[in-house]
Amino acid sequence: MAIKGVNAFEMAQAQFDKVAAILDLDPATRELLRWPMREFIFAIPVRMDDGHVRVFRGFRVQHNDARGPSKGGIRFHPQETLDTVRALATWMTWKCAVVDIPLGGGKGGVVCDPHHLSQREQEQICRGWVRQLARNVGPVADVPAPDVMTSGQHMLWMLDEFEAIHGGHYPGFITGKPVGMGGSEGRTEATGYGVVFTIREALKELGLDVKTTRASVQGFGNVAQYAIRLYTQIGGTVTCVACWDETDQTAHSFRRDSGVDADQLVSISDRFGGIDKAKAKALGYEVLPGDAWLEQPVEILIPAAIENQIRADNAPRIHGKVRIVAEGANGPTTPEADGILQEKGIFVIPDFLANAGGVTCSYFEQVQSNMNFFWEKDEVLARLDSKMTAAFHAVSELATKRKLFMRDAAYVIAINRVAQACRDRGWV
Amino acid sequence: MTSPEIPSFERSLFDPARRISRIGTGSLGGKAQGLVAAARILSSRRSDLELPGLALDVPALCVLATSVFDAFLDRNALRPMLEEEPSDQTLALAFQRATLPAEWLGDLRSVADDARVPLACRSSSALEDALGRPFAGVYGTKMIPGNQPDVSGRFKSLTDAVKFVFASSFFHEARAYRRAAGDLPEPEKMAVVVQEVVGRRHGERFYPDISGVARSWNFYPVGPAEPREGVVDLALGLGKTIVDGGACWSFSPAHPKLPPPVGSVRDLLDATQSRFWAVSVGPPPPYDPMAETEYLVEPGLAEAEADGTLRYAASTYDADSDRLVPGTGRPGPRVLDFAPTLVWNELPLVPALRQLLAVCEGELRAPVEIEFALSLPPGQPARFGFLQVRPLLISGEAVEVAEDELRAPTTVVASTAALGNGRHEVRDVVYVEPGSFEARLTPAIAAEIEGLNRTLVEAGRPYLLIGFGRWGSADPWLGIPVRWDQIAGARGIVEAALPHMNPEPSQGSHFFHNLQSCLVLYFTVPIDSARAVDWSWLASQETVTRTEHVRHVRTQPPLVLRVDGRSRRGVVMAGTS
Repeated sequence: MAIKGVNAFEMAQAQFDKVAAILDLDPATRELLRWPMREFIFAIPVRMDDGHVRVFRGFRVQHNDARGPSKGGIRFHPQETLDTVRALATWMTWKCAVVDIPLGGGKGGVVCDPHHLSQREQEQICRGWVRQLARNVGPVADVPAPDVMTSGQHMLWMLDEFEAIHGGHYPGFITGKPVGMGGSEGRTEATGYGVVFTIREALKELGLDVKTTRASVQGFGNVAQYAIRLYTQIGGTVTCVACWDETDQTAHSFRRDSGVDADQLVSISDRFGGIDKAKAKALGYEVLPGDAWLEQPVEILIPAAIENQIRADNAPRIHGKVRIVAEGANGPTTPEADGILQEKGIFVIPDFLANAGGVTCSYFEQVQSNMNFFWEKDEVLARLDSKMTAAFHAVSELATKRKLFMRDAAYVIAINRVAQACRDRGWV
Repeated sequence: MTSPEIPSFERSLFDPARRISRIGTGSLGGKAQGLVAAARILSSRRSDLELPGLALDVPALCVLATSVFDAFLDRNALRPMLEEEPSDQTLALAFQRATLPAEWLGDLRSVADDARVPLACRSSSALEDALGRPFAGVYGTKMIPGNQPDVSGRFKSLTDAVKFVFASSFFHEARAYRRAAGDLPEPEKMAVVVQEVVGRRHGERFYPDISGVARSWNFYPVGPAEPREGVVDLALGLGKTIVDGGACWSFSPAHPKLPPPVGSVRDLLDATQSRFWAVSVGPPPPYDPMAETEYLVEPGLAEAEADGTLRYAASTYDADSDRLVPGTGRPGPRVLDFAPTLVWNELPLVPALRQLLAVCEGELRAPVEIEFALSLPPGQPARFGFLQVRPLLISGEAVEVAEDELRAPTTVVASTAALGNGRHEVRDVVYVEPGSFEARLTPAIAAEIEGLNRTLVEAGRPYLLIGFGRWGSADPWLGIPVRWDQIAGARGIVEAALPHMNPEPSQGSHFFHNLQSCLVLYFTVPIDSARAVDWSWLASQETVTRTEHVRHVRTQPPLVLRVDGRSRRGVVMAGTS
C-alpha cells in the first residue's frame, strides 16, 4: 500500500540519512543500512474456486538481521508495493532495536484483496507464500506475523505448510497464533498497553499527575481500545475518540467530557470499529467532525489509526494544552508536522517506540514457542512493562543528554545498535 | 483513619530514600499503618533509640494499596463467585488463575528483580484500619524465598503469594470472623505488605536469630510481675511460632531473669520451643501456591545448633545437677530460655525493648504491642528489625467485681486471672464435659465446637465457651486446637484445668488480639483455684445439643459475665428469675 503522495521507502531512507549524519556513520555502514539485505519477489499461482488459475505477486524483504532473525508482518493488500514493504521492513529493524529485542527487521506481503477471496483461496495464497520461501524463513531466520488483513488463521495455515515441508513442529516459525495454538497470552493487549506504559513514564518526566490529565484518541481499533482502557485504569480520562464510519465513508469524533467508556463504545461498534452515532448520542456523547479529536483541550493526543494524520495543515490546530503526542499508529505524523510539534514544545513518543509493545510481545511469543513452554499473562505483561519502560528511559535520557527531539533520539539509539551489531559481526 | 502520605514505588525496593513506598492507591490497611508508624517513631525519636550494639530499622517494604485488590477482583470478575462462598481451595485456585492488574505488574516485577532475599507478603486489612482494631491472624501471610536464580521464578512466587493473600480475605475463617464481628461499616478490602525478611542464611534455611512480640501491658502477670511492666515473648526463627501460639519464652522486661512458673527443670524442657520456622532457601519445594507454608520449613534445635544460632538463645540441661546452664558450651539437651541474652546480658535486648516500649507508648499515648526480629551476624552489629507497632485495646468500661462475689452462691465461674474488661449477658453455654475429656481427643472436640459455633453464629446467639487447657494452642496436647473462626461467636471463654491438662495460660498473640478486639472476656481457672467451675449447676441446665464430648445448654434467665480489668477478677453469675 503506497502512502499517498509519498514514497515510504524514500522517507525511511531520508530519516536514516539524517540520523547517520548525527552518528557520523562510515560510508559502508550507511550503504548497508540504507537498503534491505535480501528481497524476495515471487509468484503464487492459485487455482481459484471457479477453476481458473490466478497468479498473485508476493514479497518478503529482510532489511537487516545483524541482531537476530528478521521479524515482521505479512500484509494482504491490493495496493501493496515493494517500496512500501522495504520501508516497513526498515522500520521494523529500528523498532526491534529501540526496545532492545534480539531481532532484525522484515516485512512481507501479497498483492491481493481478501475481501474478494474465499477462505480456501486465502489458504492457498498462504501456503503458496510459504512454499516459495520455506528455505529462507523460519524460527532462526525470519519470523512472520499477522499484519494488514491477515490474522491468526492465516498464520496457522502458513505454520502448517512450513511444518509439512520441514517435517517437524516449529511453532517459533511464526507469531500471532491464537492462544492455545502457540500464541501468547497478552498479545491482544500488548500494543495498546505498551503505548500507555510509555505515556505513564513521559508523564513522570514532565511532572504531571496522570489523574489530572485528559487524552484524545484517534482510532478505535485494538490498539486504541486497550490504550483507552489502561490509561483510564491508571487514572486518566479520555474525553474524545475519533473513528472511521464505513457507512458514511468518513470519520467522526465522539466527545464526552465526563470520560469515554471503551467497553460501552465497543458495545455500539460495528465489525470495522465504527461507532453508532445515534446510540453514542443517547449515551451522552457529542458527535463531531472526524478531525476534531486533534483540537481537544487535553494533555495527551494518541493517534492510533493510520499514517499521515498529523500534518502541516492541521498541526497548528493542536490545542495549547497538549503536552504529549504518543504515536500508537505507524507514521501518523509527517516530517513537516514534526517540526510544528517541536516548535510547540510537545513531547513526542515516536511510533516505533510507543507502539513497540506489539512486536515485543511477538518476540515473547516466539521465545515461548521455541521453548514450547508458555507463560502466564502476569509474566507476559510484566515483562512487557519492563521492556517498554526501559526503552522509553533509554531514549528519553539520550534526548535530554544530547538535546535531541525524542524521535531523533530513538533513531539514534536504534540505528547505533544495529550499526554496532554489523561492526561486531565484521560486516563493515 | 486516613492513609499517611508515603511515596509511590519507583521500581527499587531498597532505595534508601524510599524504604517504605506504595503501589496503587486507596487504603494501606492496618498492618501497613503500623509499619508506617514504626518508621515514623524511629525517625522522630532516633536519638532516644540509639542503643549500643543494636541497629534499629524498619526493613524495606512496599505496600500494594487496596486499589490493586479492587482492580484484581473487578477485572477478573471474581466477585460473583464470592457470593457463593466456595471452599478455600476453590477460591485460592480461582485467584491463582486470575491476572493481576497490568498497570502494576511492572512494579511487581521490579520488586522481584531487586529482591534476592526472602520476602514476606503480609495481609493488611482496610477494615482493621477503618475500625482501629486488629484482625490479627485472620488473613494469610506468605513468605517467599527470593532464591530463584531468574527473575521470572521470583516474580512467579511473588505474584502467587499476593494472590494467596487476596484469596485469604474470603477464606472460611475470615468470613466467619467478619460475620461474628457483627455489622461492619464496609466490605473488606485487602492491602498487601511486601517486606524484606530480617534474618541470615544458613545453608538451605533463612531465619532471624530471635523474633519477638513485646507488649507494654501484661494481661497475665505471674509472680512479682505487674501488668504495667509489660511482657515479651521470644522465639528462635520466624515469629510465626509466637503468633500461632506455639511454645515460646515469655518474660517480664522488669524481671528478665525470673524463671517461669513451671514445676521442674524437666517440665521446662518439655514446655520450651523445640522446633522453629525458617524460610526454605534450598531446592524448590513441591509447587503448592495454595499453601501458606509452601516455602517454610520447621527444623529442630539440632539444625539450629549446626547453624550457630543458639548462641544467644539456649541453655544446656545438666542432668547431674538437674539444672540449666546458660549457653551451649557443654554437651547436653538444649533449652530455649534465652538465658545468654536475659541472664548474662550478652545482647542488650532487654534495655532496648524497655526503651522502645516506653517511646512507643509515649508516641501512641496508649499501651502498645510491638513485633520485632533480630539478625545477629558474628562480628557485626546486631540488626533489630522493627516490624510492627500498634496500640493495645483495653476496654474503658468501668466494671467492678468484688472479692466476695467470687464465692457467691450464684457464681458459676470465678477467676482471679481474668482477661479483658467489661460485661456481657448470654443464655447459651457450650462446654466440654469433664467426665469424657482426654487430651488425645482435642482435635475431635475442636471440630464439634466448630459445628455448634456455626449454628449459634447463624442464629445470632452469643455464648459462653468452657473447656480445658490452652484454647487455640497449636499443640493439641496443651489444649483444644481451635482456630479463631471456630469459636468466633463466643463472648466469654473459660480456660479450665484438669489434673492432666493444666498448662501455663498463654495464647498466641493473634489469638490474644482477637480476644481483645472482639471484647471477649476470658476466664482462666487454674487447678488450684478455690472455686473453679460449677459443673453440677451446668449439668442441671436444659440441653439444646449434645455431641460426643460437648454439651450445649440454655439458661433461663441469662448468665451475666463480668471482668474487672484492674483487679483481674472475673465472674460468671447465674441470674435470678
